Amino acid sequence: MNDEIDMILGGAQGAGLETTVQILSSAFASSGLGILADREYYSNIKGRHSYVHAKVSSTEIPRSLESSIDILGCMDAETVFTHFEDVREEGYIIYDSSVDDKTQDEIKSLEDPLRERLEDRFDELGVEGTVSSILDHLEEEKDVEAVELDFPSILKELQEKYEMSSSQASRYVSSILIGAVSGLMDLEKNSIEKGIEKKFEGKEKIAEQNMFLVGDVTDMVKEEHGSPLKMEKLGLDEDQLLMVNGNEITGMGKMTAGLGFQSYYPITPAADESLFIEKHAGEENVLVVQTEDELAAVTSCIGAALTGTRSATATSGPGFDLMTEGLGWAGINEVPMVITYYQRGGPSTGLPTRGSQDDLMTALQSSHGSSPRIVLASGDHHEAFRDAVKAFNLAEKYQTPVIHLLDKFLANMVRTVPLPEIESLTIERGELWEGGEDYRRFEDGPISERAFLGEEVMWYTGSEHTESGNVIEDPEKRLKMKEKRMNKLDLADKEMDEDERAIYFGPEDPEHLLLGWGSVKEVAIDSIESLEEKIGYLHLRTFSPFPEEKVLSYLKKADKVVAVEHSYSARVSEVVSLKTGFEIENEVVKYTGRPIYRDELVRSMKDVLSGRVSREVLKHGP
Amino acid sequence: MAREYGTENWIEWCPGCGNFGIVSSLYRAFSELEMEPEKTVLVSGIGCSGKMPHYVDVSGVHTLHGRAIPFASGVKMANPDLDVIVNGGDGDLLGIGAGHFVALGRRNLDVLVMMHDNRVYGLTKGQASPTLPRETQTKALDSPNIQDALEPLPLALISGYTHLSRSFAMDSDHLKEMIKKGIEHDGAAFLDVLQPCVTYNDIHTSEYFKERIEKLNDWDPEKDKNEVYEKLDRETDKILTGEIYKDTDKPSFSERLSEGYKEKSPSQRPIEEDGAPILDKEKFVSKFEEFVVEPEL
Repeated sequence: MNDEIDMILGGAQGAGLETTVQILSSAFASSGLGILADREYYSNIKGRHSYVHAKVSSTEIPRSLESSIDILGCMDAETVFTHFEDVREEGYIIYDSSVDDKTQDEIKSLEDPLRERLEDRFDELGVEGTVSSILDHLEEEKDVEAVELDFPSILKELQEKYEMSSSQASRYVSSILIGAVSGLMDLEKNSIEKGIEKKFEGKEKIAEQNMFLVGDVTDMVKEEHGSPLKMEKLGLDEDQLLMVNGNEITGMGKMTAGLGFQSYYPITPAADESLFIEKHAGEENVLVVQTEDELAAVTSCIGAALTGTRSATATSGPGFDLMTEGLGWAGINEVPMVITYYQRGGPSTGLPTRGSQDDLMTALQSSHGSSPRIVLASGDHHEAFRDAVKAFNLAEKYQTPVIHLLDKFLANMVRTVPLPEIESLTIERGELWEGGEDYRRFEDGPISERAFLGEEVMWYTGSEHTESGNVIEDPEKRLKMKEKRMNKLDLADKEMDEDERAIYFGPEDPEHLLLGWGSVKEVAIDSIESLEEKIGYLHLRTFSPFPEEKVLSYLKKADKVVAVEHSYSARVSEVVSLKTGFEIENEVVKYTGRPIYRDELVRSMKDVLSGRVSREVLKHGP
Repeated sequence: MAREYGTENWIEWCPGCGNFGIVSSLYRAFSELEMEPEKTVLVSGIGCSGKMPHYVDVSGVHTLHGRAIPFASGVKMANPDLDVIVNGGDGDLLGIGAGHFVALGRRNLDVLVMMHDNRVYGLTKGQASPTLPRETQTKALDSPNIQDALEPLPLALISGYTHLSRSFAMDSDHLKEMIKKGIEHDGAAFLDVLQPCVTYNDIHTSEYFKERIEKLNDWDPEKDKNEVYEKLDRETDKILTGEIYKDTDKPSFSERLSEGYKEKSPSQRPIEEDGAPILDKEKFVSKFEEFVVEPEL
């Protein structure tokens, strides 16, 4: 029995991979397995290679991915070419035997640099270059077993049985892959059925056809190969779990917090969160508005916040850039609003569908002048939910914008997670005006009593202003009002527990320290557990106000400190240096936009800890 | 007795500025409509017109250059019980903020947009605005304007505004009436206010406008769009003022939203009970049922 299976399922964008993954994930989860699935795709609607890289576990909810895999499920020849070297010894490749003779030259969607690398590699390996030659090579060298399935004839059978056209039948390739994985892993029929029914709710006929195909292929694969990858069941205590991606769990958090208004302009990988909220607006009637641009997204969000509505917008780097002027206005006018910021590869359009953590400085410092802002960063699904709620509480308590940093990895990462502990959550609305005479919005400080538009007469202005909100340029008043606002951040620094702003994982008194934030969290924790050295991981969760004391105390104790980040220059080291004066000398960075895999991080850490290098650039992932 | 809507702030526009006419007409319109100060929100952008909220005793939101409309939209969408009025310059609304100007029409959100149309950027010392005709050289320009003027009313018409009017800052009785009609209209309303800039526009002076203005008489504004467009298109030497177009059939933004929104807008919905989220665990599980998995162990 296996307790962990790593797999990649790949195919052309729009060819049904999404369906495959939804049904399989649902089947894994309902069979009591833990799942973590990363989604990699191009900025493209149809035709480019996309894949899902997943880990399924019967002992825990997985935290990170391995670069090598047990199963490679190929919907097309391109998937074989792109991923064949990732398959482990004694692994399995599911593929369409009708493409046996195909060479990479026939695949137009392959990018040229990969084509060139493949040519060189085939020369090195002495491989002819057809799909079957690759499979022969893998069988000889790594004992990899090919699960040969003749897709056209399997689909032909379906076509005849249900009297459909061949183009209709071609849309069922996803079920061939599901059937093959199900056969190898001996998944319970019932759990697959549930997944299919959920996916095709209200479309009984389509569900039935998919079920037929899955059953057919499962039997074929079992007969030929047995079920060598059967797994034990996960011994989880939970009787209910959520299976969600980061966009969804963040949306759930915002809705639990009482979100009333969300504006957005379409952008990957943030838009799915807004669509999720709109779809589930339900009786809470959250108003989700697609605005004409991000300038309007941020400013309409501010307008809504002035009425006392919990308001947010969700965006990514290019959109956030456009929002910065609005952010400054919200700062000087002490507006509680939340920007949910999903980072992707930049600058400019950069790698629009790939992950990044390169916007830390942008989140902390963009916008001219200075005003207080709170910056939270989430490292996993659980944190994303908690932070989404916390963001609104902090925004209202300190009457200032909050930026909630996430990234593309988390946005699209599907995971089974325990239900959020809603019972432990509170909704804190901060200082509110309780009525009386002569209301002045910016009276006293640092925190003024907040009335909503509609309750009292009040003025707001982006210019420096008096307590009443009227424009003023008097130097003394400028000092007073500027200090009033900036003091809020000092207050937040005093009131927010440093232990929640930076969390330490690992042994007591570590010799070395790995420092990171956001979605490097889980792979960092897995990696320190795999290293022989006594090393801990310090996870930063709040960048403003920065938990200086706690961070510094860990940094000072460590022999070697290594920053790990999805960026070119380890932004976190720059921030630490600015805030504490401590210079972090080592870094492991990745800026291909692909996830950091456990084994590559462990390998690079060994190099850094041994003193051979002080900087490693990770590259794995096609 | 009619309420006074002025504030104690010193009004810092140039002596003779058209804005004095606009603000006094606004006071009179508010007074006649008996606007509740805390339920009325005046939103402005940047420039001379941007200062308006500080001189009016209703809630005021003095925003960013070009963004008065989306700020106002957020306020109105979150709390539809408020009366929301935008004051912006021609550069603010049709230059830097043109995208928002169009978007408001498409939504037909119940907001009145008053455009201070003096054809120059005043506060930055007289540059050409989007309503300054080509080949015109106002006194701060080095050479005649080489960009064509935009036609605000036809633009508003094709953008979807359901109430269009034009008036003149120096004709307070007329302007007051147009403001009232704009506020009372349920949907996006646009009021083009012709206005002299005494400091930087030596061409489009008060006299210039007075000579050319022709008030619409016997004109029923509930007309087909094409007819309105043609009427505006025939303007040559004359500038038409008055209530030009009105459409009461097209649903306003809030009418396009769900029943639930109409009953309880985002700003009126409770979000907590004794500090706990309204969306408790039970509601959470039923709301997000499709994401809940019950593993069969």
